Amino acid sequence: MAKIKVYTLPTCPWCMKLKAWLVEKKIDFENIDVSSDSSAVEEMTSKSGELGVPQTEINGKMIVGFVPEEIEAELAKMSKTKKTKK
Amino acid sequence: MVEIIYETIIIGAGIAGATAAIYASRKRMRFELISPDAGGQMMASGDILNYPGIVKTTGVEFSDAIEKQLQFNGVKLKKESVRAVKKKGKNFIVTTDKGEYETKTLIIATGARSRKLNVPGEEKFARKGVAYCSICDGPLFSGKRVAVVGGGNAALEAADFMKEIASKIYVIVIGEKFIGHAYLMEKIKSNPKVETIFEAETLEITGDKLVKGLKYRRKGNIKDILVDGVIIEIGRVPNTDLFKDVVKTEPDGHIAIDCQMNTSVPGIFAAGDCASGHEYQYVIAAGQGCMALLKAARYIANQKQ
Repeated sequence: MAKIKVYTLPTCPWCMKLKAWLVEKKIDFENIDVSSDSSAVEEMTSKSGELGVPQTEINGKMIVGFVPEEIEAELAKMSKTKKTKK
Repeated sequence: MVEIIYETIIIGAGIAGATAAIYASRKRMRFELISPDAGGQMMASGDILNYPGIVKTTGVEFSDAIEKQLQFNGVKLKKESVRAVKKKGKNFIVTTDKGEYETKTLIIATGARSRKLNVPGEEKFARKGVAYCSICDGPLFSGKRVAVVGGGNAALEAADFMKEIASKIYVIVIGEKFIGHAYLMEKIKSNPKVETIFEAETLEITGDKLVKGLKYRRKGNIKDILVDGVIIEIGRVPNTDLFKDVVKTEPDGHIAIDCQMNTSVPGIFAAGDCASGHEYQYVIAAGQGCMALLKAARYIANQKQ
């Protein structure tokens, strides 16, 4: 499964939901706590133009908010691309 | 095409709607729980310390527990958005983005949402520095300057929460004084980072890609402050726009109910923050959700007689 990056805050309820959902779905992810790293806030905002969490980065695409359907669709696209390459 | 006539349709899956659904399931009623998402305003709550039987929880934990309780009781949320409700004889037709449902009774439990300021820049900079939940988004402004707009408890709590995070907090209050708990006022009054500006009307939120400032008018003078974030805490409005032509609503938009959760239309009940008498408390919403369901069941039983 492709590694994805999530930008979160420890106090944000939807961030907690997102992380719990990723764990439940056994989707490997890197968590970036933007509360402890102001450069991460800038990085996130420069990529999406949005100052809000959670945000999920998959294959260069930023998904703002907790939108499981979009994350699944993006992961499916990636796995399809990988299979085609083989 | 309508094939099943439900005994009740519950619109909204916050604590009021979820409670109604748990009771409906335990009474083995034919029902649906319809909402585009689950959890309602629990998802914007921090610590919950006043729900009887639970010493301490958080909005997310509470929402998870309720979701598990729904699953335990076999309730499956229909993730659909209600578009319209209309009467059909004694029954009601609920139209969603995905289908149409006929029901003998209806429980409206659609909750409330943050009130907007309706000033230029608010919409443009939403999620770009404008926030409505300090717990959710506040830490994004670590070491930065923020404005909290509002003069009630929610604004005071936001200012208190932000004082550990932001470098400077302006509290913009339209009135002459705060309307909130004295202990909260004390907490922010004594903090040098917090500057309260009373009798200040917010005129505009400014910026380029992100928020850069806020413009306000005080005693005829227009002033600008430089801020990176604007947290708006000016109360809530009920999610009742869809029902204003269906049931009687109060001037502030809440659905008028009596002490048995009856609305102005027999067979339609309302519960929680969308209904009159609201105090924005989980325990009240849960109790009202329960009452609405029990009264709906009684209404159906009386119809059969």
